[in-house]
Amino acid sequence: MTTPPPSPPLPLDDASAGAVVDAMMPLVGIAMAPEWRETVIASVKATAAAAKLVLDFPLDDTVEPAPVFRA
Amino acid sequence: MSVKETAAGIAAAVAAGRLTASASVEAALARIAAIDPGVNAFTDVTAERARARAAEIDAGLAAGKAPGPLTGVPFAVKNLFDVAGLATRAGSKINRERAPSPRDGALVRRLEEAGAVLVGALNMGEYAYDFTGENAHDGPSRNPHDRERMTGGSSGGSGAAVAAGLVPLTLGSDTNGSIRVPSAFCGTFGLKPTFGRLSRAGSFPFVASFDHLGPLARSVADLGLAYDAMQGEDPDDPWQAPRPVEPVTDALAQGATGLRIAVAGGYFARGGEPDCFAAVARAAEALGASRRIEIPEAARARAAAFIITAAEAAGLHLDRLRERPGDYDPAVRDRLIAGTTIPAAWVHRTQRFRSWYRARVLALFDEVDVILAPCTPCRALRIGQATMELDGVTVPARPNIGVFTQPISFIGLPVVAVPVRVGDGLPLAVQVIAAPWREDLALRVAGALEAAGVGAAPVAE
Repeated sequence: MTTPPPSPPLPLDDASAGAVVDAMMPLVGIAMAPEWRETVIASVKATAAAAKLVLDFPLDDTVEPAPVFRA
Repeated sequence: MSVKETAAGIAAAVAAGRLTASASVEAALARIAAIDPGVNAFTDVTAERARARAAEIDAGLAAGKAPGPLTGVPFAVKNLFDVAGLATRAGSKINRERAPSPRDGALVRRLEEAGAVLVGALNMGEYAYDFTGENAHDGPSRNPHDRERMTGGSSGGSGAAVAAGLVPLTLGSDTNGSIRVPSAFCGTFGLKPTFGRLSRAGSFPFVASFDHLGPLARSVADLGLAYDAMQGEDPDDPWQAPRPVEPVTDALAQGATGLRIAVAGGYFARGGEPDCFAAVARAAEALGASRRIEIPEAARARAAAFIITAAEAAGLHLDRLRERPGDYDPAVRDRLIAGTTIPAAWVHRTQRFRSWYRARVLALFDEVDVILAPCTPCRALRIGQATMELDGVTVPARPNIGVFTQPISFIGLPVVAVPVRVGDGLPLAVQVIAAPWREDLALRVAGALEAAGVGAAPVAE
């Protein structure tokens, strides 16, 4: 188990989060109204902050994902 | 019968011939008509169906048919459960355009097979992505103890209907705390069983990795009766675990004797109003539990639950977000849209962390049988309240109501929310947490708290 490299710098600023949102909306096919953008960006920033906590935690490669599929 | 009667009391009265199922149902319908306009718990009252079912039960009893464990007990379900003849709206505007359900959800059928009578469907936060009990389309469910306050969510109507004495038993769903938070805010008992224990067939999903269904009631015995009636394999639910029926009702009398009980420290002992921790201390004292235990990496577990929730919910809703995003509750829509931007690599990593965390937490149950923790970091907030103060810091209210519930449902542990009063303020609740498949232990401890007078769910006056 090794300490992971630093995850993306946080807090993600509004401009960076806005760029993520603007790039992703055509990809996922959502027509986001301009007046929703601010709260969507705030939520993206909150998710990134949560992700940093998880991504910074070292895990051995042998740790399997929790969901188990049985054929 | 008094409106304060428990499900067990009603079933006993019907079985003994002191009460008919029809009279029981009529009392509930009258109470709903009188009280519900003020608490907004119900979105549908299925009076015609309930009267027909009650008459059928009474005719059966008169003909010598043996009563079931819940015979004549009126109950209601969060409106994400399928109810034959109703569109399963799941708190949304969009879903109410769906065709009426052809049949009841699995747990509704099982409660009715045990003799209970469905009287309606209950208000909830849109698509269950909610801790408040507010709803942009149907209006907020209101806390029966203070109608200007939240019920908690997303099973807000389920908490309000029980606390107001409209019915003694409701069903809710709990993904990140949606049974336990309304139990805390409304002062009811609530059971979130082990992940995979009860069938989810015939309910509208939210987050496949975390969705649980379970009962809310005003006594531990009622939780046990309902839970026992709902157990059992269901081939319609591919996520259900292959477990035998393991009834708990007979075990409740054992109380907490011989059980190793600890209080969760660290993360679960800070970041809330002092009375939330005082409630846990009161429960621990009543149980003679002096040991403290650390649930490792709980803050990370909460963050991980946040990510998986956002990603899976966004995936579930993607088509609707593309086709009619303007028809969502804005508070839900904008989080779902944000969820579509989450990298798959983050989700994969988070599901791996979940395995790590599960193994560490399960190891704690080698040393203890039950862990106590606060349910919420605060009492019921005012309806519409956007922020709250925790440890002197102002934080957004909505996401932080579930700080203590999320790390537990994240790995599917069974929990009983036990309402514990501290002072003369609004209700609070304590989480009584057990190892997977040990609902019996959590319910025994909850029952011990109830017997000691520490846990109680009186009807709001």
